[in-house]
Amino acid sequence: MSLHLDHLAWSVDGRVILSGVDCTPPRAALTGLLGPNGAGKSTLLRLVAGVLPADSGRAVLDDVDLLALPRRARARRVALVEQETVAYGALTVHDAVLLGRTPHGSRWGGTTEHDHDVAHHAMEEAGVAEFARRPLGTLSGGERQRVHLARALAQEPELLLLDEPTNHLDVHAQLDTLAVVRGLTGRGVTVVAALHDLNLAAAACDHLVLLDRGRVAAVGSAAEVMRPEVLEPVYGVRCLVLTHPETGRPVLTFSPRDGSRSPDAG
Amino acid sequence: MPAALSPFRPRRAALLPALTATALLAACAGTPSSPPTTLTPTSATAAATAGTAHTTYPLTLDNCGFSVTVKAAPQRIVTIKSSATEMVLALGAGDRIVGTGFPDGPVPADLAAGAALPALSDKVPAAEVVLAAQPDLVYGGWESNLTAEGAGDRATLAGLGVATYVAPSACKEPQYQPDRLTFDDVFAEITEAASILDTGAAADELIATQRAALAGVTPDTRGVTALWYSSGDDVPYVGAGIGAPQMIMDALGLTNIAAGVKDTWTAFSWEEVAQQDPDVIVLVDATWNSAEQKKQKLAANPATANLTAVKNQRYLVVPFAATEAGVRNVPATVDLATQLAAVDLG
Amino acid sequence: MSLGRTAPGTGRSSLTLVLAAVVLLASMTVAVTIGPAGIAATDVWQSVGHHLSTLIGRGGPGGPPLGPLLDGVVWELRLPRVLTAAAVGAGLAVAGAVMQSLTRNPLADPYLLGLSSGASLGAVAVLVLGATVLLPVAAFAGAVLALAAALGLAGSLGTLTPARTVLAGLAVSQLCAAGASFIIFWSATNDSYREILAWLMGSLARAGWSAVAIAGVAVVVLGTGLVLSARTLDAFAFGDTAASALGIEVGRTRWSLLTVVALLTGALVAVSGSIGFIGLIVPHAVRLLVGAGHRRLLPLAALLGATFLVWADTAARSLFEPRELPVGIVTAFLGAPVFALLLWRRRSSSQDLA
Repeated sequence: MSLHLDHLAWSVDGRVILSGVDCTPPRAALTGLLGPNGAGKSTLLRLVAGVLPADSGRAVLDDVDLLALPRRARARRVALVEQETVAYGALTVHDAVLLGRTPHGSRWGGTTEHDHDVAHHAMEEAGVAEFARRPLGTLSGGERQRVHLARALAQEPELLLLDEPTNHLDVHAQLDTLAVVRGLTGRGVTVVAALHDLNLAAAACDHLVLLDRGRVAAVGSAAEVMRPEVLEPVYGVRCLVLTHPETGRPVLTFSPRDGSRSPDAG
Repeated sequence: MPAALSPFRPRRAALLPALTATALLAACAGTPSSPPTTLTPTSATAAATAGTAHTTYPLTLDNCGFSVTVKAAPQRIVTIKSSATEMVLALGAGDRIVGTGFPDGPVPADLAAGAALPALSDKVPAAEVVLAAQPDLVYGGWESNLTAEGAGDRATLAGLGVATYVAPSACKEPQYQPDRLTFDDVFAEITEAASILDTGAAADELIATQRAALAGVTPDTRGVTALWYSSGDDVPYVGAGIGAPQMIMDALGLTNIAAGVKDTWTAFSWEEVAQQDPDVIVLVDATWNSAEQKKQKLAANPATANLTAVKNQRYLVVPFAATEAGVRNVPATVDLATQLAAVDLG
Repeated sequence: MSLGRTAPGTGRSSLTLVLAAVVLLASMTVAVTIGPAGIAATDVWQSVGHHLSTLIGRGGPGGPPLGPLLDGVVWELRLPRVLTAAAVGAGLAVAGAVMQSLTRNPLADPYLLGLSSGASLGAVAVLVLGATVLLPVAAFAGAVLALAAALGLAGSLGTLTPARTVLAGLAVSQLCAAGASFIIFWSATNDSYREILAWLMGSLARAGWSAVAIAGVAVVVLGTGLVLSARTLDAFAFGDTAASALGIEVGRTRWSLLTVVALLTGALVAVSGSIGFIGLIVPHAVRLLVGAGHRRLLPLAALLGATFLVWADTAARSLFEPRELPVGIVTAFLGAPVFALLLWRRRSSSQDLA
């Protein structure tokens, strides 16, 4: 059930955003999608979810070309969680999570008991079950982020796409979210998450894809990708890689390239 | 979130001019005090006119494009607006009135029936109120009186067996609106109303009397120009070329400075009035806007204070109810002729 | 992990729905007995009962119990009017709720796409210019043309986003309103102002049985379609991207739902003029009661809107007797303070829709 992204490309107004992305996020694993701003991370996720129409390329999951599926069928397999751009404060958490059941069940009918069960389970997993009756407007940014995650979980996807899921979260919540995601991968769900925090990516991800200006700059494990010679040309900063004494994973610190004092120098 | 542009504005925008216009048109009800009467027939010569035969029913006629069938002489009449009420009274059928509405002023003394007429509303009564009076005829002075928002939709009332009649001079459809109202049109209205009410004899008498009175009015030969001013401070609302004001002014020998506008009444401009500088101004007297109030405003308004007629106080006064086609036109004309003769144009 | 869990609050919202339906029926039954003609309530119901039994062929001997004119008051004036009020109120509330969701604008009302201004233009053409077309037909045609213009304008700018829809609707509204105002000022004489003013404010005085049929069919057919689309409407809550990711064909769905709303609104405006505030206020009030899920929102909004307009119209035709006000004035008077109240509550509870 690997996800195979084959030469996905997208341009708008003559500007090329993605110029042929090839990579294979492994099944049932957490793949981190890295890259500076404007590298095309969000665009790539949207292309795979089918929200943006790709100019060319395929996204194949388990021998099924996702982009060729009808929209509803794709939505039953793929869930996308983006940064919250549109707030709808009046909706309760429960109703918001229930939206994830939309692609399942009838277009005209109501929600079934099964839908409510799945929604409840999703809320528990994302840690927002206690807010079930509260309107979204009364929650903090981080709590809302988790509600959106719960919505995606309620979709029961095979592939979960996350765009900066840890943005609004404090450290504790960040770790909680990643724990939820790991639980998912343990159940066989493939997860691709765009992350800006390189250390978090290094700590949590099984597989990394580094994007640079619309093309793949590097793929591989954390040890393979998190190296100065790989990161420095892409991010334009000096990078120092240490090894975490307990987990053995890379730990990164950065300093400006031109030799001026780094922010944490004495 | 898009800017909170209120979607209400479009509707309000449509409303505003209509509301302003309505404010302008507030000149649509009121009670002036009025001397002129209807000249109830007294002379023997009037009585000598052969009475028309009684109306044969059912009577069918085309009234403002609506086909009206009157099955029998109406016994329970609801009248709306003074022109209708006074017509019925002048034809001697006042005892058959079961309700009146929207009067433009008190009924002149010589017409008033002994007992006061039952008033349904001081504006247009609602349909239900009219029906509660159980009429068999609803007689409206304006076509808009007989709509669903007013006293009732004509077709609905007809379906319930209630005949409806609108004063023909007030028809809005162009082919029914008299193009240049004449006294013959007014007399024809009296005749038609009488045929509906089966009061042919009374009509003949009334018309004969009024014709005689009219014949006694000699048009003024001094070449007097006039403005027939009804309402409006910034924009005057005046009698124009084809309605009752023009008809009366013709009989008086007055030249209407707004005669060129092919309408019954029209919004005019003080500039135009100043340019024409009419010799006299005919003031419509209504309770909500009396002739006295108009005189004061004209004197105070810089746009009008220097008009010849204003400086020399050359005013003629006519009551509001007499400015609609009806039984009061002739008496008003006679009275205005007397006023005009007394005006010094020197 | 099924714990036999039912949807939270299902019981409660079903109860609310039943209660609302009962209140509506009771309101209609009482409203029919109120009016300036002063007919006793029992006589009114007897008259209605007589007509109904005649309709189903089981009429008793003799004519209606009241005289023909008073009976006409009940059967030709009051009853169709109450029924039309219920249908129009229900339709406007549902249309308003859907419009607010589709454009994600809490200030949206059913007339957003230039529908009311377009219909006004049609009505003005008949009432002022004297075009020989039936008033409802002209109003409906005006509404549809305005809609086509608004959607065409919005669509020509690119994909149909909520913001574009609102702005295009605004542009068309202004144009139609200017046209209508021009015609009124230029051509209206004396008393035709009253007619067009009554129409612009919204009036149920013209509502006969044909109005009941038009409004009723529109509400039942189109309104049911909207209620069935509840899940789809819910999916729009978090924006077009999220809706698309949930499997909704955003562009096509928005077009078709807007069209349904427009047809429904057009039919309602055609029989009653542009009655304001119901499409705006009732959805917000119902959201405060049962939340924003459309499955609960739409039916309850319909019932509440119907009840509200039945009472507003009863007030319009009885409170000021022997005269009658256009019902739009009453809804505005009632609606404005209610709207202010809702805004005030929203501020203090920080449930911002923006």
